[in-house]
Amino acid sequence: MKYIDLLNFLNPVHFPIIAIMLYFLGAFLIVLFGRNRIVRNCIAFLATGLTLTLLILLVKPILIDGGIIPYWMGNRVPAGGYAIGIALEVDALSLFFGLLVATAVFVAILYSFSYMSEDDNEPQYYTLFLMLAGGVLGMVFSGDLFNMFIMVEILTFAAVALTAFRNRVTGALEAAFKYLVVGCIGSTCILAGTILLYQQTHTLNLAQLAYVIPRVGGTNVTVAFALLFIGFCTKAFIVPFHPLAADAHGAAPAPVSVMISGVLTKSGIYGIIRLSFFLFQTMNLGTMQFWLVFLGSVSMFVCVTMALAQHDFKRLLAFHSISQIGYVLTAVGLATTLGASAGLYHAMNHTLFKGLLFLTAGAVLHETGTTDLGKLGGLSKKMPWTTALFLIGAASISGIPPFNGFASKWLIYQASYEKAVETGNIGFALVTICALVTSTLTLASFVKVTQSVFFGQLPKECENAKEVSWGMRLAMSILAILCLVTGLFPNAVQKLLTIPAGSALFNPNAYINGMWQSHLPETAAPAVQTVGVWNPTNWLILLMIALLSICIVAIASKYDAVRENKGEKVALKYSLFYGGEETEFSQVGGGDLFWGFKQNWRHYFSFMHNLHSGIVNDYSLWAVVALALAMVYALIVL
Amino acid sequence: MDMILNALKYLAYVLIFPGFLFCFLSGLLLCGIDRKLVARMQKRVGPPILQPFYDFFKLCGKETIVPAAANKFMFLMAPLLGLAALVVLQLFIPVFQFNIPAFTEVADVIVILYLLLIPAVSIILGGASTGSPYAGVGLSREMVTVLACELPLVLVLLSVGKVVGASYQGGICFSMTKIVEYQMSHGSLITHAGLIPAAIAFLLVIPGETGNHPFDAAEAETEICEGMLAEYSGAPLGVFKLNHGIKMLTMTSLFVMLFFGGLGSGIESLVALVGLTGTAAHMVSVLLAVLLLFLLCVIVTAVGISLVHAVTARLKIEQIFKYYWTVVSGLALLSLVLVWYGL
Repeated sequence: MKYIDLLNFLNPVHFPIIAIMLYFLGAFLIVLFGRNRIVRNCIAFLATGLTLTLLILLVKPILIDGGIIPYWMGNRVPAGGYAIGIALEVDALSLFFGLLVATAVFVAILYSFSYMSEDDNEPQYYTLFLMLAGGVLGMVFSGDLFNMFIMVEILTFAAVALTAFRNRVTGALEAAFKYLVVGCIGSTCILAGTILLYQQTHTLNLAQLAYVIPRVGGTNVTVAFALLFIGFCTKAFIVPFHPLAADAHGAAPAPVSVMISGVLTKSGIYGIIRLSFFLFQTMNLGTMQFWLVFLGSVSMFVCVTMALAQHDFKRLLAFHSISQIGYVLTAVGLATTLGASAGLYHAMNHTLFKGLLFLTAGAVLHETGTTDLGKLGGLSKKMPWTTALFLIGAASISGIPPFNGFASKWLIYQASYEKAVETGNIGFALVTICALVTSTLTLASFVKVTQSVFFGQLPKECENAKEVSWGMRLAMSILAILCLVTGLFPNAVQKLLTIPAGSALFNPNAYINGMWQSHLPETAAPAVQTVGVWNPTNWLILLMIALLSICIVAIASKYDAVRENKGEKVALKYSLFYGGEETEFSQVGGGDLFWGFKQNWRHYFSFMHNLHSGIVNDYSLWAVVALALAMVYALIVL
Repeated sequence: MDMILNALKYLAYVLIFPGFLFCFLSGLLLCGIDRKLVARMQKRVGPPILQPFYDFFKLCGKETIVPAAANKFMFLMAPLLGLAALVVLQLFIPVFQFNIPAFTEVADVIVILYLLLIPAVSIILGGASTGSPYAGVGLSREMVTVLACELPLVLVLLSVGKVVGASYQGGICFSMTKIVEYQMSHGSLITHAGLIPAAIAFLLVIPGETGNHPFDAAEAETEICEGMLAEYSGAPLGVFKLNHGIKMLTMTSLFVMLFFGGLGSGIESLVALVGLTGTAAHMVSVLLAVLLLFLLCVIVTAVGISLVHAVTARLKIEQIFKYYWTVVSGLALLSLVLVWYGL
């Protein structure tokens, strides 16, 4: 008689599959029992919370001890040299991305409880949300290519449906349609690539593919690489797929934006890394490094300038999202251990600060009903918490010390400049410069948001705004605290998370051995070498001492004895500007804030404006052209 | 007991030297010298050199009025945050070979570049919090100026890092201490032919970073009533004026340490020549080094800030941006290319 040994479930080997199942189980249970709000929230909370706990428990065996968990569904282990069964394989890289996914999902669900409470069809929302989460988690844990494709399909369709969830919002259906069309081109590419690979190698198991592909080669395999690469690029919204993200974020509810930007784009990045470092092992080629670094740099620069031209809060954030993904791709593309570790660090930070920013944007939308920068203003007096949290997020993304964005960007600058000096190639120095300037442009863009949303004059339409509920503030605060902590202790974060995950990139044989029971020689990744000096905790202590002593002096000398103008209505003889302009027009609108910059770049901006027509046919054409270019490039260099 | 003494020692560093008191005195003095020099260059009598001190104390005695649209906390905190950030920043810049390792090992040049953003952000936040349209115009221009200065500064620092890194492992070096050490043994970086354009570029960046004429479009008094400071009065305004002085000190001493760091190498032997030894010799050398640094800062201010102020008219914001991203960045890029190919 066989019975299930309950204790056996507590073996970490089962955690990955249980984690994925919890999401999907939660989704189905909400369909069945989700009519009642309390039951629904409980199911969603338990599913996401338990998954996060399980993945945190996996940190010890995988990230710290360096183990790899292979898992054959139904115990269908490979036989006769071929892996037919469905498999999961969780190594340091997978788990790192899995942790990002679970954290973002958990926080987004917490936020959704109060944010979505006024929407119709709430059960459907949670179902789709958990499907999306399960899709991404399944994709990063999957051990075979076809299941990756299945999960990509699940997450794409869930994301499309969630984009159009508030379908009364102008543009929601249009955005979803665009996403659907181009997303399907991407998925089709992945499927086509998978088929080609299967036809060439007769296997779909990632480990076996990684073993076979470098030994087979050939034109078909190269074409498959280009197809898969472009497919994953559409998921990460790398240029030229960036317009989709902007539309989708503009229309989707805030927690869904967190998912799309913090989680979905990461699945694309994960796919690209898995593809180029593991399956094809091509990253030792200078031409491949150039390709990734080039795509990353272009994404980071083009999208930050696109963001400067936006006048909608969420669209602006969407472009920044891709700009930051550009940093990740650039850093990973350098193919050095420092670069990989820095890139993954930035990927993590991106999930945290971009999630925070999208949630604050959601809070503003929730209270004022608009995200148009021209119509908002002066909210800092009405929503002090949200303002403070937003400022933390903005400082993080703009790379202001000591927040986490700076910690990872600073590693990226070093990695790219070290690479430049090492190879003697001045092109990588240009990448460093591009990254540094992009960071300042990001700051400029967030100054614009700060000025036009939280400071400045309070318009009449926003007078009823008040602070958001505790649930939403809690979710935002979790992310804000994580932003600060990961910025203050960069060494601990690197040691615990990003260096193990980053080193895994340079040891594909361990991945193959872990699954395939082969005994390929494993190479230890070269140690991470940093040349810079930055000690955030000491700096913060010094700043606190200085600030405290200055504040004591200030208070002692009655610095805060002020007269507050309570806003008595005084009939002004002249308006604020003496030239006769109405004061309401004299406020510098969000869109015009940086005309000193834009004036010099007007040709570039008008070119970009004409290029982004908003017509889905154009974007599909871009996708096809990108695919063609990728194929030609791959055939030339591989 | 030792720990308490140590803590007191570091507190003295932060509060007295090279921290708050030193920054306060020399920053405002630098401001006064600059005003006097500009006046003399324009054939005016000019204010007394101590005028900024008088201004500061007078402003501290005046009433502060918080505008109706302002966020009071942000309005009052922004100047203090900027001041604290600047004082801490000054700790990281060594005084020739006499540095305090506990501080100079906290941040390197690239980090200093980013720490310099915090005072800029604090004045922007302060201005934004007043809700004044003048502040809105001012902060937009301030941000564009910061953006304009960033590219040349980055290029200069990368060139310096490449040159100095040649004698260290890894080929790059951004640590301030090592940059100064290198100059002690190899001579000041200004003597390095490839870095001369970079030095000129940095000199041109200084007035932009500090917001001095002709790059002061952000605070154009005659046009937008000092922009971000339009609504400020009393002590907070005084603190912002102080921040401006300290920023002048920070930028000029950064310039001195990056390009003239080798000048201090003779101090110790000079003191030994006089016949001093032990603690007394060390004290005298530190004093001499500080005086030398301040003297060099005054010279850099005279050339980089006052002279430029006296002979030019204020630029428009888009001209500032264009100027920095073409002329100054061009110089810095030239430098980077030169040092890249070993000049």
